[in-house]
Amino acid sequence: MAEVEEQLPLSPQDGGRGECGEEPSDGGAAVGVAEAVPPSAGSPVTEEPAEDTKKKIDVLLKAVGDTPIMKTKKWSVERTRTIQGLVDFIKKFLKLVASEQLFIYVNQSFAPSPDQEVGTLYECFGSDGKLVLHYCKSQAWG
Amino acid sequence: MTDDKDVLRDVWFGRIPTCFTLYQDEITEREAEPYYLLLPRISYLTLVTDKVKKHFQKVMRQEDVTEIWFEYEGTPLKWHFPIGLLFDLHASNTALPWNITVHFKNFPEKDLLHCTSKDVIEAHFMACVKEADALKHKSQVINEMQKKDHKQLWMGLQNDHYHLIPGSNLEIPANLPASPNNKFDQFWAINRKLMEYPPEDSGFRYIPFRIYQVTTERPFIQKLFRPVATNGQLNTLGDLLKEVYPAAITPEDGEKKNQVMVHGIEPMLETPVQWLSEHMSYPDNFLHISIIPQPTD
Repeated sequence: MAEVEEQLPLSPQDGGRGECGEEPSDGGAAVGVAEAVPPSAGSPVTEEPAEDTKKKIDVLLKAVGDTPIMKTKKWSVERTRTIQGLVDFIKKFLKLVASEQLFIYVNQSFAPSPDQEVGTLYECFGSDGKLVLHYCKSQAWG
Repeated sequence: MTDDKDVLRDVWFGRIPTCFTLYQDEITEREAEPYYLLLPRISYLTLVTDKVKKHFQKVMRQEDVTEIWFEYEGTPLKWHFPIGLLFDLHASNTALPWNITVHFKNFPEKDLLHCTSKDVIEAHFMACVKEADALKHKSQVINEMQKKDHKQLWMGLQNDHYHLIPGSNLEIPANLPASPNNKFDQFWAINRKLMEYPPEDSGFRYIPFRIYQVTTERPFIQKLFRPVATNGQLNTLGDLLKEVYPAAITPEDGEKKNQVMVHGIEPMLETPVQWLSEHMSYPDNFLHISIIPQPTD
């Protein structure tokens, strides 16, 4: 889905969503879990709260099996980053060939769709202020 | 009073009359006739359109045929969304049949995922089922099942049983509701386990749902939502919307601007989401809800 970029960070996706690319997260700094706050009664009828899409979430990447381990495991990622975007990023970082497959798993149980946004996954499956994702060169959990 | 099981059947057997037309810029050796098909709401475009592909490939040269993709009024249709969702979202308030344009060239990389084989559809379907169970049961039920049970869920979606109405291109499903060993029974023999919950609870841990709207940039809204409130009351569809998308609810003295649609109908906002999840989810165990503009006429 996302264009494969020449260098990090990745450039903005279509639709005007500004991105500044992934940044390594500080080891101990806990990013506050941003619970979705229902808009107040006075908010415009047609708009959803926009502040969610600007924030970044913490992602912890864990290697499975004999897949190479990333030197930096914790990353601060834009909520709107897709799984495909993350896959491309990891492949680049690990210097894998573009044609090599990389599978990403949530909760060590399911592989989300390539167009899934990490922000949504974090909302539903994040814990302790981060989203843990396992990555593997072969299918680990089907 | 409609039996709840009837709802399961109505959902399963829902069909959308569709007319497939080849995109005018595709190069053909002769005129391409449109192809009519009743699409199962619960299935996926690339799973049920082998005959459509064959029909149009007959009038094209082999070298002009690359991966098939579908479009409705300029919008590429995501094959990995269930057909019923695509229809509700894009065309539910337009006249039937649903007119879909077929393409074999210029695959829109930015809008669509590739679907190179049935295995890709199966993998996507099973991933959704697993994600739903992660929300409902912390994956306990799906993980306790054997591989053959997972396979049985997928096989239930296979549609190799169609009859062609003589003298037309129109096909109807051959597996009648009453016949034994049909796909519906096959599927629900396993799926019913995914719809169970511990007797001490009043429902699932969280409800697997996604809310879609064509007019926003967000692909869909999906959040954690419990079927039961802290006071023990069952949360309703209205409660869900209030929490995750209040803009969809008509204000007390306001004009109804939206339809909240699942499987072509607008469930009452008082409906418990637990009931909706058990009875009106798609086979992937998700409630796919469309918010569409209220028709003016």
